[in-house]
Amino acid sequence: MRRGFVIAAGGLAALSLIVGCGGGETETYKLGVVGPFTGDGAQFGEMIRMGVEMKAHEINDAGGINGVMLELELQDDKGDPKEAANVAQKLGSDPDVLAVIGHFNSSCSLAGKEVYNQMNVLQLSPGSTNVTVCEGGDWTFRNVYRDDYQGYFIADYIKDVLGYEKVAVFFDNDDYGIGLKEAFRERADEIGLEVVAEEAYVRDTQEYTPQLTQIRAKEPDIIFISGLYANAAMILTQAKNLDIQTPFIGGDGLLSSDLIKNAGSAADGTIITCPFLPTIEDEKTREFVEAFEKKYNEKPDAWAALSYDAVGIVAEAIAEVGTDRTAIRDYVASLNSPENAYDGVTGMTYFDANGDVMKPLVVAVVRDGEFYPAEHQVDSLAEAEPTEETAEAETEEETPEGES
Amino acid sequence: MVLQQIINGLTIGAVYALIATGYTMVYGIIELINFAHGEIYMMGAFVAMTFFRLWGMPLWAAAPAGILAAVMLGVTLEYVAYRPLRRSPRLVALISAIGASLFLQNLAMKIWGARRQPFLDPNRPLEFFQIKHHVSLPVLGEATFSNMQITILVTAAVIAILLNLIIKRTKVGKAMRATAQDQVAARLMGVNVNRTITATFAIGSAMGAVAGILVGMNYNQVWPMMGYMAGLKAFTAAVLGGIGNIPGAFVGGLILGMAEGFAGAYISSLWMDAIAFAVLIIVLIYRPSGILGEQIPKRT
Repeated sequence: MRRGFVIAAGGLAALSLIVGCGGGETETYKLGVVGPFTGDGAQFGEMIRMGVEMKAHEINDAGGINGVMLELELQDDKGDPKEAANVAQKLGSDPDVLAVIGHFNSSCSLAGKEVYNQMNVLQLSPGSTNVTVCEGGDWTFRNVYRDDYQGYFIADYIKDVLGYEKVAVFFDNDDYGIGLKEAFRERADEIGLEVVAEEAYVRDTQEYTPQLTQIRAKEPDIIFISGLYANAAMILTQAKNLDIQTPFIGGDGLLSSDLIKNAGSAADGTIITCPFLPTIEDEKTREFVEAFEKKYNEKPDAWAALSYDAVGIVAEAIAEVGTDRTAIRDYVASLNSPENAYDGVTGMTYFDANGDVMKPLVVAVVRDGEFYPAEHQVDSLAEAEPTEETAEAETEEETPEGES
Repeated sequence: MVLQQIINGLTIGAVYALIATGYTMVYGIIELINFAHGEIYMMGAFVAMTFFRLWGMPLWAAAPAGILAAVMLGVTLEYVAYRPLRRSPRLVALISAIGASLFLQNLAMKIWGARRQPFLDPNRPLEFFQIKHHVSLPVLGEATFSNMQITILVTAAVIAILLNLIIKRTKVGKAMRATAQDQVAARLMGVNVNRTITATFAIGSAMGAVAGILVGMNYNQVWPMMGYMAGLKAFTAAVLGGIGNIPGAFVGGLILGMAEGFAGAYISSLWMDAIAFAVLIIVLIYRPSGILGEQIPKRT
């Protein structure tokens, strides 16, 4: 902590004064964690909380960061951008807060971004996938992929791995569904994957047979659902009722045990891409999942795993460069190539110039009421072509697809 | 293709028709739009799901339990939320109905959680309902439909006939018709008006629950907000057919279901709801009393 005082004092006299006044109470490294801990997204917030707390406990049980305990300050943004801006203000103006993990909802991350960039504090989102989240914010990073990246990935996976030629798209008419569909469409056109049908639905619908009938008539090889699990469960059920044998594929919006619970055997064979899968065969993942289950009596989801890694990244930065906010930010930004990446439970994490992350997605398939890793995974981008990746880290979003 | 859309449209329409009769009967008798009717439909489905999937009872026991619960709920609702307001301006009762609707939605969320859940038990698949049929007709094309869809259509038809018999041939039905025409005169003639209104709510609620259970089985999903949109659509169907008119509710339901199915298939699925409500507006402009509404001023 002494060293911390010196740096802080060197940076800003007033700051050192405040820290000094705190006296013995500031003998910790404080991280802000923001998420929707109450409100509509509370189940996501719960997973985020479990993920960050587990990592913090592990760090502290192992003696802390260079002997100093890590302290988490949890703040609730309720999934509301207005609330998010308030909370960001609160965390940003507290000089003890070294960095912020959050927010979850993209709209909240965007609202918080303004504040964090103004107040010069690192923001690392474990869950915001909207394309614009990191744009133009030097202090804003995320360790989850962007929506459009997932769309590209799915198009490539269908064409290259599954070897299909004709695809039908069934999308939710909201930001997530349209954004994912548009990215998918763009990539599909590029690689010559034929989109034979594009049908939309609205969130409250319970009848999907008219569209499914339309889609069936176009005889696609596979149907891509760009939406969320609740609707997907009904779509799968009704497709089965119509005797549609075509396989289905979807993004991380479909990854929920409720999909299987609600669709039953109709969900079998559905392919889902996601940032993390607890059943993937990997030593690190297995250890994490076992420890998580022991602690909380349930399986971690992707958000828990990403939050867990987010704490790990910031902790590593503090361990390396100390408590200066700028130094922490610079350290995280320097994780910009496969050789220089954070190796966590969600794979190798490194950022591009924008602060976005490029990780291969995990592909899951539903079998007997459980999500299993699909037979064909796309290997880590880093392992596949390390040299190309390094160069690509500098450029725009399409690049990670270059090698797949 | 066309045939498939007709079958799809008829299935949705039959469900709307069943719910719509509940609106129309209550409106016919006390001129109240019972906005909580969609929630009775939802509650019927949830109770049946609870008995069937959560408590493992057979369907022949769970479905009547759901219907019974809905009937009790409908009757209680009338007693608690509408009867004390019977002499108040109609707007007051309408607001009470909206309040009851919100209350029931939240009650369901409290009891069962806000998430969507399956109706059927994967360990006890009702295989009969899953059996599928393929038809291929010239011009109309091919279609696939399940026994579940046939069940929905047959149930709706049987209920339409039964309801007609109850209203035309039974004493309760006669009392209903009398009360609908003139409450005071009916009372003077010895009709127990309160009991007749209770019976109307009971019958309407039972049909709502039947629709809820059929929908739960067909889509294999129930959730606390399921009554909201279904209720609005059924209300539209009731107005379309002529509110207060029971055959009108059936006609309105089927027309609405078909319009939606075809709009979804041939125009854009995003316009399904918009078209349903556009149909309502057009009908209200050109035939304010609905398709069958003008024949009899209040009810048959």
